[in-house]
Amino acid sequence: MLPLSWGFYTDDVMMANPIKNPNIWAWWIVAAGVLILPLLLGDGYYLNVMNFIALYSIVALGLCLLTGYAGQLSISHSAFFAIGAYSSAIFCLRFNFSPLISVPLSQGISVLAAWGIGAVVLRLKGHYLAIATLSFTIIVGVLIIEMAWLTGGLQGLSSIPPISLGNFLIDSDRRFYFVVWPVTLLLLLFALNLVESRIGRIFRATKESEDITRLFGADVKRYKVKVFILSSVFASLAGSLYAHFVTFISPMTGSIMFAIDIIMVLAFGGFTILWGAMIGAASLTFLNEYLTIFADYKRAIYGLSLIVIMLFFPNGLLQGLKDSAGLLLKLRRRESVKNASSQ
Amino acid sequence: MLHLSEVTKKFSGITALTKVGFRVKAGTIKGIIGPNGAGKTTLFNIITGVFPAGSGSIAFRGEDISRKKPEVIARLGIARTFQQTHLFKSLTVLENVMLGRHYRTKAEFFACGLKLPWARREEKEIRMQSLEYLNLFGLADKKDRIANKLPMGEQRYLEVARALATEPHLLILDEPTAGLNEQERDAFRDMVFKIRDMGITLLVIEHHMKFIMEICDDIMVLNFGVMIAEGSPREIQNSPQVIEAYLGTDEDIDY
Repeated sequence: MLPLSWGFYTDDVMMANPIKNPNIWAWWIVAAGVLILPLLLGDGYYLNVMNFIALYSIVALGLCLLTGYAGQLSISHSAFFAIGAYSSAIFCLRFNFSPLISVPLSQGISVLAAWGIGAVVLRLKGHYLAIATLSFTIIVGVLIIEMAWLTGGLQGLSSIPPISLGNFLIDSDRRFYFVVWPVTLLLLLFALNLVESRIGRIFRATKESEDITRLFGADVKRYKVKVFILSSVFASLAGSLYAHFVTFISPMTGSIMFAIDIIMVLAFGGFTILWGAMIGAASLTFLNEYLTIFADYKRAIYGLSLIVIMLFFPNGLLQGLKDSAGLLLKLRRRESVKNASSQ
Repeated sequence: MLHLSEVTKKFSGITALTKVGFRVKAGTIKGIIGPNGAGKTTLFNIITGVFPAGSGSIAFRGEDISRKKPEVIARLGIARTFQQTHLFKSLTVLENVMLGRHYRTKAEFFACGLKLPWARREEKEIRMQSLEYLNLFGLADKKDRIANKLPMGEQRYLEVARALATEPHLLILDEPTAGLNEQERDAFRDMVFKIRDMGITLLVIEHHMKFIMEICDDIMVLNFGVMIAEGSPREIQNSPQVIEAYLGTDEDIDY
C-alpha cells in the first residue's frame, strides 16, 4: 500500500544487523567462562553449588519471561518444578522408562497442565492472578502428598536413576555440570532472542496495556497462555533435571517456599532483565550457602538483605549496579569537564 | 467502506450514543465534531471494538464488526491513534512502529527464540519497513529514543506512523492536532492529504475548526450522543443546529 521501496535505510540496516547486540557478546563471554570454570574449581563443593545455580537460573529465566516481560505474576513455578520432577521420576521408577525418554515426556505433561491452567487463570490480572496460581501450587502440593500410591506421599521417591547416555551415567557433579549448564545457556539464548523479537515486543506492550496492544491486532490472550506454558516448561525442565541429579524427591521439592524463593531471585537480580535472573540465582544460592552458619536465622538475614536491596535498588541488583555505574561515570565526566574548563 | 446504522450505547443508565448512523466512503476524509462529552471518542471505541456496541450494526467492508474483538477488527484493517497518546514506554520509537507491523508478520515463539533464518529475515524486513514509516514523519534519526520522551508533536506523528505500519484501510485519528502549534498543524494537514493519497480512508475527530474544515470531504456533528447534522464543510458551517450546539456551550471555537 505504501511505496516502501525508497530504500533510504537499506544500507544502514544491513550494516547494523551483524551481531551488534551486546547481549549476544555477553552470552558468548559467559558461556566461555562457564565452560572453563570446572577446570579452575576442580571437583567438589563449588561445582555442586554451580549446578544448583543453573537449576535456579532456569526457573528464574522462565519466571522472568512471564512476569518481568509479559507482566503476569505467577506463584506456580514451584508446582511446575514438582510436576517435572515427579512425572520424570514416576516414568522411570514405575514404568521403567529411560530418563532420556521420561524427561521430554514430562515436559509434554507440563505443557498440557500449563495449557489447562493458563487458559483459565490468565483471564485474571495482577493480585488475582497471583492468588489463582498460588492455589494451583497448593493443590499440586496436596495431590503429591495424598496420591501416595503414585508419588510415595510424604516419604517421596528415592533411587531415581540418573540420566544416562548408553552406559555413560550422568551421576557426578562434574558430569551433571556439563549437562545442566549447556541447557541453561541455550535457554538463556532462546529467551534473549525471544524478548528482542516481534513476540517480545508484544510481551512488553502487554505488560503496559493489554487493551492498547489488542488494538494492534495482537491476540493477547493467546500470547499470554503461550508464554505461561513456555515459562512453566522452563520450571518443569529444571525439576526433571533436578530429580535425576539428586535422585531423591519429596513434597518439599515443590513447596511454596520454593516459589517464593524464585520470586526473590528475580527481586534480587531484577525482574526486567534476563541477566538479572542469572545474577539473582547466583547471589541467592551463594548467600544461602554462606548463611548456613547462622542456622535458623538464615531466613531472617535472607529477608533483611532483600529489604536492603529493595530500598536501594528497587529495580534489582543488576539494574541498580548498572545505574550507579552510569551515575558515577557521569559525575566523573562532569568533574573532568569542570577541571578542564577551570584550567 | 464503513457503515454505521442506529448505533446506540448506554453506560449504566447514561445513554452515550443514540441511534447514530453514517457512512464513510472509501478514499475520503470524514470528520466528526461536537462539544466535549458528545460521545465522539465513545464512537471510536465502539468502532474499534474497545466496547461492544449496545445495539445497531457496524459494517466494515461488507462485514459486520459490531460484536467483534478489537484484535479481529484491527486485522480487518482499522488502525487508530489516541486522544491521549498511548505509546509504549518500554519500547523505543522504532520498536513502537515495529509493533504496528505485528499482525502483518508471522514468526512465532520457536522461530523467534531460535532465530531461524526466515524469522531473522522477517525481523530485518520489519525493521526496514518501520524505518521507512519513521522516515515519512522525519523521525528516523530518533529511532532509539524512548517513545514517550518525544515532544508532543512527534509523539502524535509516531502514533500515526505506528498505525500506518499496520497497513490499514481505514485510519481513525482522535484529536490528532491537540497540543500542536499552528505550524505543526499545517504540516499535519499536509500529512493527512498524503495519507489519503496512499488510498487510505480517514475518520477524524477534531476540535480545531479551521483544520477540520480544510481537510474533510464530509463532516458529521454529534451533540449529547445524537447526530445533529451531516454534510460538506460548507453546509455544516451554515447549519443552524450546529451553530446553536456550539454557542450553547463554553466550547472554544478556533476559527
